[in-house]
Amino acid sequence: MVSGVEPKPKLAIFDFTDCEGCEVALVSLREKLLDLAGEIEIVNWRLAQRRADEGPYDVVLIEGTPITQEEIDTLKFLREQTKILVGLGSCATLAGIPGIIDKESRGFWYKKIYGEKYKPRGIDALPLTAYVKVNYLIHGCPVEKKEVVRVMEELLAGKAPKPRGYSVCFECKLAGNPCRLLAKKICLGPITQGGCGAICISGGSPCYGCFGLRDSAQIDNLLHTLYKFSDSPEVEQYFSMFLKKTPEYARLFKRPRVKNGKT
Amino acid sequence: MEKPEFITKIEGHGALHFNWQKNKVWLEVAEGERLFEGMVVGRPATDLYWITPRICGVCPIAHNLAALKCVENTLGLKISDSTVLLRKLLLDAQMIQSHVLHLYFLVAPDYLGLDSGLEIIQTHPVYFQQALELKRVSDLIADMVGGRGIHPTATAAGGFHKVPSTEQLRGLRDEAEKMLAAAEGCVHLFSSLNYPEVKADFSLFSQANGKTYEVYDMKFITSNKKLKARSVGFEKVIDEEIKPYSTAKFGYHEGKGMMVGALARLALQGKLLKGRAKEFFKTADIDFQNPYHNNLAQAIETYHFVQEANGILEKLIENGVDSKATELPKEYKPKRASRGVGMVEAPRGGLYYEIEVDTQGLITHCNIITPTVQNLSSMEETAQVVLNQIKGQSKEKIQELLEMLIRAYDPCITCSVH
Repeated sequence: MVSGVEPKPKLAIFDFTDCEGCEVALVSLREKLLDLAGEIEIVNWRLAQRRADEGPYDVVLIEGTPITQEEIDTLKFLREQTKILVGLGSCATLAGIPGIIDKESRGFWYKKIYGEKYKPRGIDALPLTAYVKVNYLIHGCPVEKKEVVRVMEELLAGKAPKPRGYSVCFECKLAGNPCRLLAKKICLGPITQGGCGAICISGGSPCYGCFGLRDSAQIDNLLHTLYKFSDSPEVEQYFSMFLKKTPEYARLFKRPRVKNGKT
Repeated sequence: MEKPEFITKIEGHGALHFNWQKNKVWLEVAEGERLFEGMVVGRPATDLYWITPRICGVCPIAHNLAALKCVENTLGLKISDSTVLLRKLLLDAQMIQSHVLHLYFLVAPDYLGLDSGLEIIQTHPVYFQQALELKRVSDLIADMVGGRGIHPTATAAGGFHKVPSTEQLRGLRDEAEKMLAAAEGCVHLFSSLNYPEVKADFSLFSQANGKTYEVYDMKFITSNKKLKARSVGFEKVIDEEIKPYSTAKFGYHEGKGMMVGALARLALQGKLLKGRAKEFFKTADIDFQNPYHNNLAQAIETYHFVQEANGILEKLIENGVDSKATELPKEYKPKRASRGVGMVEAPRGGLYYEIEVDTQGLITHCNIITPTVQNLSSMEETAQVVLNQIKGQSKEKIQELLEMLIRAYDPCITCSVH
């Protein structure tokens, strides 16, 4: 994409409803961000600058879940404005943590948290792909800095980035962690895309699959193992952390609703 | 309402609206509702401190710690001395990260006539290097103690899954020492700026314990208007109001706006500062009625937290981390249904959690009040004061001053809508 005299590719960064942790991770790249900023032109980034050029853009990074009508409209508009659209972080790529709330239970919680008179703005927490075609998904809650750099460099070199061809287990072994499954602890590592470096498990926390399902994930085999030492509600609690709005979750756990607003 | 133009260089989507005829200004918050207080209901109490850091990527550690304290308080768990020290170290790192990000990347461009924080590298390379150094080392501490800076992985109710080795702590200390010079530069830079002159008679609120300049171990909520209430009774101090134009609630105390954060903490706890931070505070000549001075206050606090982090690291290296820090309970279930609270001072001010848990250890109720919810009310009131006090300026100039005012508060809109 870049050669001698050609103008630098125009990058715009937008955020929908989310925690902005993935943008903070971008800032934490420090010198590396400046290197990237030398190869590209950041023409729109609300968090970091006043400059806010209109499109068209070469690359648009979107962080967050399109949860309000304005965000959904903006997403569709941005899709037309850019050659390459990249989802940044699990809120954008999977609906992530905001996706824990089902569309049907939102009404109950609006009333409980905001009162009867409140006019809500949020419709449903869904991934970007529920509305538009996305060229690449950089998963993670938050994103792994090395993965962001890899994807950006590959895009700048004109390549189409691909997800890692291995699961979290591979990196977890490299990190020297004892296997959670062998210790009879629930783990979604075997069915989750690598790239995170098994950072959660290394810290002592579980893997909830924020990097998304890997290609040809053997979900049923994993469930077979998990049900040897845990029950369905426990397993669901893990799957519902980041994967609740995936088709696989619906296949495994969707059941008739109960009335109290919780599903 | 016209299509909002969001204020740039703040965390989240907030927009100022003007009615120039009536000389009125109001603050719209348009971030979508994520409904965290509903999200955690029905889930194990131990999910609280995994899920709620995701309220805010700028201050996830503050949320993590407040949630941990809340769960421990609810389940009656005790924590060890080393756990307290390591958590205080984490919170120091959080404060430095957050203040530095805000000061250099979001605020400094206003005062140095730049568009973006990234431009400072060309115009003020020495200051920029100092900013990067503060960010680098505070990130390092957060990563090493928390497992990961953004959304910690090593913390748990009752202690830590993992703690750094003495060798790692020594390495951290060597790095943390380097922050002292950089933080001094930070104080110099933000003491040298020309802040707009505004006088607002606002109410400043901070938690405190009366003994040390404290952000972790809170006892009271105090104010410059003579309030002294127990921290655990925060729901009686802060009234949350719902506005038709905002997805965030606005926090009031007895019908008036509240300002929380660095300026409020210095006003109410400043006399407890120690060492060079105390000297910087004395010479800074902070005007506690000028909201723009919140940025100067953040710079002085940055020095204080750097100083404190160094002290804690020394102590941990000297005494070693006790083995109790990693002895976690086997089960997280209370004997009977229980309620508990947890609070810290987050970078932007008082952060309060309350949960109820059933005998299975599942959350049945959750309430969270974030600092920016409290600040929104004061921001709107002070914006009105600025609008009234500034005469003979163009609309563009006034708008710019008001955007700088909002940035001075360091609002975290994502926190305010949670």
